[in-house]
Formats: sequence, C-alpha cells, structure tokens
Amino acid sequence: MTQNSSVKYTYEEQEPIERIKRLAKKFGISPVGLLSLVILLILPFIPPFNQEHLLRWLVGAALIAAQTIAFDFTTGYINVVNFGFAAFLGVGGYTSALLAVNFGISPWIGIFLGVIPSAVLGFLTGILTLRLRGIFAALMSWFVGLALLGLTRNLTELTRGPLGLNAPTFLETASNRPYFYIIVAMMMVTYLTLRWITNAHYGLAFRAIGQNIDAARASGINPTYYRVFNFTLQCAFAGWLGGFYAHYYGILTPALMATSHTVEVLAISYVGGRGSIWGGAFTAFPFVFLIEFLRSNLTELPGLHLILYGLLLILVMIFYPGGVAQVYDTIRDRITNRSPQNQSAAAD
Amino acid sequence: MAETALKKRSPFIEFVSKATSSAGLTIIFTIIIAIVATVVAGPFTLLNAIVTGGMWALLAAGLSLVFGVMNLVNFAHGEFFMIGGLTAYYVFTPISAYLKENPSPFLTALAPFAGIIAATIVGALVGIVLEKLVFYQLRKRTKEQWVMNSFLLTVGISVIIINGVQIIWGTNYKGITSYWDAKPLEVLGVFISVDRIVVFGIAMVTMAIFWYFLQRTTTGRAIRAVSQDETGAQMVGIDLNRIQVLTLALSSALAAMAGASLLFMFPSYPTVGLKPLYIAWYVVILVGLGNVAGALVGGFIVALLQTLTGYFIGVTWDDVIPTAFVMLILLIRPSGLFGSEVKGVHEQ
Repeated sequence: MTQNSSVKYTYEEQEPIERIKRLAKKFGISPVGLLSLVILLILPFIPPFNQEHLLRWLVGAALIAAQTIAFDFTTGYINVVNFGFAAFLGVGGYTSALLAVNFGISPWIGIFLGVIPSAVLGFLTGILTLRLRGIFAALMSWFVGLALLGLTRNLTELTRGPLGLNAPTFLETASNRPYFYIIVAMMMVTYLTLRWITNAHYGLAFRAIGQNIDAARASGINPTYYRVFNFTLQCAFAGWLGGFYAHYYGILTPALMATSHTVEVLAISYVGGRGSIWGGAFTAFPFVFLIEFLRSNLTELPGLHLILYGLLLILVMIFYPGGVAQVYDTIRDRITNRSPQNQSAAAD
Repeated sequence: MAETALKKRSPFIEFVSKATSSAGLTIIFTIIIAIVATVVAGPFTLLNAIVTGGMWALLAAGLSLVFGVMNLVNFAHGEFFMIGGLTAYYVFTPISAYLKENPSPFLTALAPFAGIIAATIVGALVGIVLEKLVFYQLRKRTKEQWVMNSFLLTVGISVIIINGVQIIWGTNYKGITSYWDAKPLEVLGVFISVDRIVVFGIAMVTMAIFWYFLQRTTTGRAIRAVSQDETGAQMVGIDLNRIQVLTLALSSALAAMAGASLLFMFPSYPTVGLKPLYIAWYVVILVGLGNVAGALVGGFIVALLQTLTGYFIGVTWDDVIPTAFVMLILLIRPSGLFGSEVKGVHEQ
C-alpha cells in the first residue's frame, strides 16, 4: 500500500476522503457553499463593507438569512406556511430581554432560555394545527401569531407595549463587526442542524407529508410526530434568533411580531427557492442590500422596497417557482453536463 | 296538499331538528348572549353589534365566495376595503365641498351614495385586473398546490397595494366625520347616528340582492355550481374563466363597498385593511369556508363578541379574545359551525 500503487485503488485508501465527502453531504456542505461562507467571513474587512452602516446591513441580512433557513424548514418540507413566524421570533426576543432586564441574566444565556417558550409555543401550535391541512394550518398559525401580538401589545406592565422594551446588548462595543460574526455563527448552526435533519430520513418523511399526507400515512409515516417535531424545531430556532434581534438592536416593539415581518421572511425564502434551505439564506444578502439601498436613497418614496418584495414574490411564484436554488441547480447541471434529460436517459 | 304533507316532516320536528343542529344551537346561543348582554350592558352593545355586524357580513361574504369558487384564500381582501374607502373619500369630499357652496338638500342626501357606488365600481375593476394579471397567469401555468400558492400571491398583492397607496397618497388619515349631517336618531333609548342606520340598511339590502343573485339567477347558479364541483360545472358548459373573473370582481366590489360605507368609522390610510381582514377571516372560519349565507350570522356573532370584549375587558383586547375564540372553533370544527358545501376545502 505505497503511494505509487494508486492504480490499485482499494476501499481503505478511499475511505478518509469518502468519509469527509459523506459527512459534508450529510450536513449539506458543498464547495460552492464553503466558498460563499469564506467570502462572507472576510467581507467585513473588504473596503466598501468595512464601514459601520454597511456592516449593520450585513448583520441585518445575516439575521434575515438565518430566519429564512428556519422558515424554509417548515414551508419547503412539510408544506405548512407558519404565518405567525414573526410572533415566535418575538416571544424568544421578549423572553430573553425580560430575563436580562428583570433578573439580570446575561444575554448569552438569555438567548438560549428564550428558546424554551418559543419551542413550547411551537409545540402547542404544532399540536393545534395537526388536524388541519395546508391552508388551515397556515391560518391557524397566523391566528396564533395575531393572538401573541395582541398579548404583547396589551400586557403593557410586562412588555411596555408599543413604547418598546429596552434590552441590554451582547457587547459593550459600538462596532458591528463582532455581532456579524455572532450572527453568522448562529446562521451556520441553524443551517447545519436543519440540513443534517432534512438530509436524514426525517427529510424524506417531511417531504412525503408535505406532498400527500394520506399517502405518507399509508406508507407508515406518523404525520403527528413529524409535523409537531418540525414545528417545534422551527419555532425554537425562531426564538433563538429573536434573542439575537433583541440584544443586537437593543429595543423590542410589538411591531417585530407583526405579519409584515413574516411576509418579509416569506418573500425572501420563496425567491430563494422552496425546499432548498440554503436558497433563502443566499438570496437574503443581495436582497437586503438592494432593499436597504433603496430605503436609504429613495427616502421620498417610502415603502418602495416593500413593493419590490411583493413584486418579486409574485413574479417568482408565477414564472419561476424554483427560485434562486433552481437557477443554481440548472447552472451546475450544465457545467457538470448532467442535464435532467441525460439523467432520465441514463435511468432508462 | 297531501303531496306536500308526504314530502315534508311535521313543521315542529323540522324546527326542532334545525334548532338542535350546530348552526341552530349557535344562533340560539348567540341570541341568548345578546339578550343577556343587552340587559347587563345596555341596548347600546346590541345596536352597535348589529350595525357593524352587517358590514362584517358583507366583507366575509365576498371572502367566502372567492374561496368557494376559486379556492383562493385571499389575504388582500382588506386592501379592497381600503381602496373602497379611498375612492369614496376622493369622490365624496369634492362633492360635499361643492354642495357647501351650492346647498341642495336633495343632492346632499344623495352625495354619499355617489361615493359608495364609485367605490364599488373601482373595487370590481381592481378585482378584474388582479384576476387577469395575476391569478389567471398562475392558474394557466400550474394548478399544483394552488391553494397555498395563490394565497402567497395575495400576500404579495397586499404588500404592493398597501405600499403603492402609501407612496401615491401618503400615510395620513383620509376620513370624514359623517356622511349625513343629521341629528342622531333615538332607538331603544340609545342615540345612533343616521350614518350607521343607513349603512346597516345598505348592508342588508346588498346581502339580500347578493343572496337573490346567487340563488335565483343563472349566473349565480353557475357560480355556485363551480364552487361545488369545478369539473362538473365545466362539463355542463359553464365558462370557468368568466365565472372566476366575475367572482373576484364581485368579492372585491363588496369589500370596497364595505370600506366606502364605513369611511366614517375607518378613515382610509394604507394599512386600514388589516383589521377588517382579520375580522372577515374570523367570520369565515366561524361559519365555514365557502359558506356565503352563514356569513351574515357570523358577521353578527363576531361583532357581538367584539363589542362585548370592548365593554367588559377593554377595547384594546378586542383582537385577542375573538382570535382565541376562532382558534377554538378551528380546533373543534375545522369546517366551521355551519359546515360548508364547498368541495376541495380539505384538499390542499
């Protein structure tokens, strides 16, 4: 087994690299993805992006990106749009902020404690929506979100209502760069965890439920378990990211929990491509930059960026349902010369 | 006579079986609550509930119809309401300013109707444009997961309309204090403005015409046929496209009419439609998606619920309590209290 005997390719020799490949596949890591991550990590030092206001946009984009990952985990797989997504984000954020304000618990611990109520509420919502199909489940989660928003608005002694709750920030520094690395790390944790789950047999079960719940049940998948699991996990991540929101921006208002915020995440995740997990996250960066650019330069036309959200959502839904993820797949297939036609021909 | 006696059961048994069905029980229960509330809180609550309930019924009827015929879960319904208010404002204010200079009691009494009719027409036009420009395009391409996809399209439309209106007309409140400058009338010891009474009349007359249209005319029957069985309707030669355009136009016209009629309660601003949207949804879920006739009762129930919440708990809570109530209904009876004759509701 010398190095020269590479002609005799044995299984043992192959194993380490194969193992890494398999591991990478398990967690949904591709060379292009890694390259994007590296670019993302050095971005805060590259000239136009090292200014503080652009760094702020970057943090905002990464936060949205992480949210779209969690959002797509439910929407793209079990095909239930969690229309109260923003409310779960808010629950996590408010919990963490209230713990910090009232009990002096460090935000670093608080964001993890904030996961608990979000996950519990997600679990309950999952159970509530269980009997309901597609659109009813979306409506139900929307109502749950509205109820949570109403509670936050009305429990003014606790949340200070529309006045806004001041939350301590993670760090003392005024620089946005450390925050960027925190949120990118959080985004990667979200991505790797959810990709790991969807690449395992869970993903298959989720898709089966999303496509045809009766067929899935007939083939021995327990929809109750998978749907509740999916919902709980999504809401847990939403709560976690909400904690970051609270301790980054330093102020929480019930507006965070409004439906319009869910729509923002939804639009980006759909433009990115349903069921891809990474599509929304990838799209979030250029998208948020474009939108922030419009917002800061066209102040006489407020709301133009939101029109763009709506327009893109409609156009993608009608003309290109696969979104950015499909664009990528098409290009990759063309490069590696594996067009769908060839594949099906090979299969025949 | 003998023939009818054979066909029909005794009227008493008929009445009892109707009264003990879930719809009957709901109505009886609502009436009891309404009476109790009138005794405890005064007739004001009841009158308030009846007047607003009529308008909620109009909103919900349109929403319900569109769901029945097109399987479209409309998130932009509130925006039609807003457009209606806006149109009425821009039609009514110049006319009323002109009439102040050239007083004419006859025209002053009629001017509000000009605003409301204009709003209805504009609403219908918006509906037609949206169907042709958006929903038809999607339907032409794919019918797969239509309910969810079309729902998301309406989300995009809602965002575009809200922000488009905001850019063109700004965010300030455009409202009027009253349509008719008449002394409030005294009903049951409560002073109630002429506006509310007329608006209630408009709602009732419209509902009656609408009901007649659906039940007795050929087009109305075609609409109901499509909502019950699309393929079957197509087989007997009903032009689906025409029915779908008509339905959306009708629905948006009704919503716009409600918006115009309630201009004195809801001044028009870009996001005014959100609350009517929730309410219309509460009504529709309460009575069952696609159940148009039930919308009338549902409108009153929700209005009563809101008035009571406002009276006993606090005005700011009138979102939370109805939401919780509707969630409960959705859990116990996903097809609504009155059931639904629409096919395909439970298909995704």
